[in-house]
Amino acid sequence: MRVLKFGAVWCSGCLIMKPRWKEVEEENPWLQTEYHDFDNEKEIVEKYQIDNTLPTFIFLDKNDKEFLRLNGEVSKGELLKVLNDNKNR
Amino acid sequence: MTRIKYLIIFLFTLFFLFSSPVQAENKVNVYFFWGDGCPHCAKEKELLEYYQHKYSYVEVLDFELYNNFSNSKTLSSVTSILGTRVDGVPFTVIGDKSFSGYSETISPDQISERIEYCYNNNCPDSLAKLFEPESNNIVADNVIEEQTASNSNKIKDKKFINVPGLGEIDAVNFSLPLITIVMGVLDGFNPCALWTLLFLISLLLGMENKKKMWVLGSAFIIASASVYFLFMAAWLNFILFIGFIIWARLLIGGIAFLGGSYNLKEFLFNKNSGCKVTNDEKRQKVFTRLKQIIQQKSFWISFVGIILLAFAVNLVELVCSAGLPAVYTQILALNDLAGWQYYAYILLYIFFFMIDDLFIFFVAMTTLKMTGISTKYSRYSKLIGGVIMLIIGILLIFKPEWLMFG
Repeated sequence: MRVLKFGAVWCSGCLIMKPRWKEVEEENPWLQTEYHDFDNEKEIVEKYQIDNTLPTFIFLDKNDKEFLRLNGEVSKGELLKVLNDNKNR
Repeated sequence: MTRIKYLIIFLFTLFFLFSSPVQAENKVNVYFFWGDGCPHCAKEKELLEYYQHKYSYVEVLDFELYNNFSNSKTLSSVTSILGTRVDGVPFTVIGDKSFSGYSETISPDQISERIEYCYNNNCPDSLAKLFEPESNNIVADNVIEEQTASNSNKIKDKKFINVPGLGEIDAVNFSLPLITIVMGVLDGFNPCALWTLLFLISLLLGMENKKKMWVLGSAFIIASASVYFLFMAAWLNFILFIGFIIWARLLIGGIAFLGGSYNLKEFLFNKNSGCKVTNDEKRQKVFTRLKQIIQQKSFWISFVGIILLAFAVNLVELVCSAGLPAVYTQILALNDLAGWQYYAYILLYIFFFMIDDLFIFFVAMTTLKMTGISTKYSRYSKLIGGVIMLIIGILLIFKPEWLMFG
């Protein structure tokens, strides 16, 4: 599983999510994550059609197919639940 | 001799027939309709009291409208007699002429000229019949009712509540500062104003010169607060200038009602707590300008540039506040305060409006790490702000006297 994290430096919610993700990543070393800046990485932003709310988290399976998209601030518990439920994808 | 006697009697009669012996006792009635807490009314009341004290022939009959329903009925009769429309208070009738509103630069001269004219020319008193002895009970009733209203106001003015830990608090004196703080904080959670500051901080954190980092960041915050102060002060003066016009208050009440409804709609139907991506092009332009300003080698160019940019960005973002500062200044205008107190309250509002910005800035500057404020707070501020705006909107339209705290 891979998670694409879209955020921006001006987005307060994205700043709130940064340390939350850091904790989740430390607790799940197997997890692959990538951060993309909304303003500077327009190609991938357009590819995944990020145009409404930030932060946006896109969960991809082994075949790089999107199976879940979360918008806005998400609790650590909710993130861990998603990861545990979809660990084998 | 008899002829001379008759001539003297004739001349004597003629003299007293055409001269005006009552002129010396000529009374000028000033009918003054006003509202409790209306600052323009307070100023005119002061002026009329001065005239009444100075000139024995001036009698001021005053009718308070906000707390006295029978006076409102009297005003309706007055407008029917005069065949005029009353758009607001103060409303003054001298002789057969009425004055709507009060302006410090025009009204004192107009009123004193009119009093003098009526005294010298015995101008017809259009309202005399309404207040003649047989209908004098209206005035008498009003005096009694006003006295009662004034007494009950005195009791109302001293409402003490017991707050654990703080003791007794005068609810009236406590209300305006409290509403200032609450509205300032709620306005501050508006995310529109925050994005430029966050981007600026991200640029400042990359600087080597820490002193420059502090100065430029502080300049941006102070300039942003100044724009808000100038806007609110200008708006307050505008409201105080046109404050006697009822429709202005109704219009702002309508804005508060719509703003409150919008905030509640956002809370109920937009449960997503993230940052909305809007105005991509405008944001990119501002970011490019900010980068150019920060990268300037000359400190002074950066300093002036950041102040100008703060002014420009904040002026545009004022629209985003859904009318909160406009509604707040209307509440201020309803309260009869000294000039400096109005500005002190605006400063208090701005301090609490900026408190989240100050928190983010100081944390970032001291820890050299960016921090945000959860957008969840912004969502709940929409709920609380929406409810408060709705209540204020309704009160501004139907019960403005409830918003007059002092």
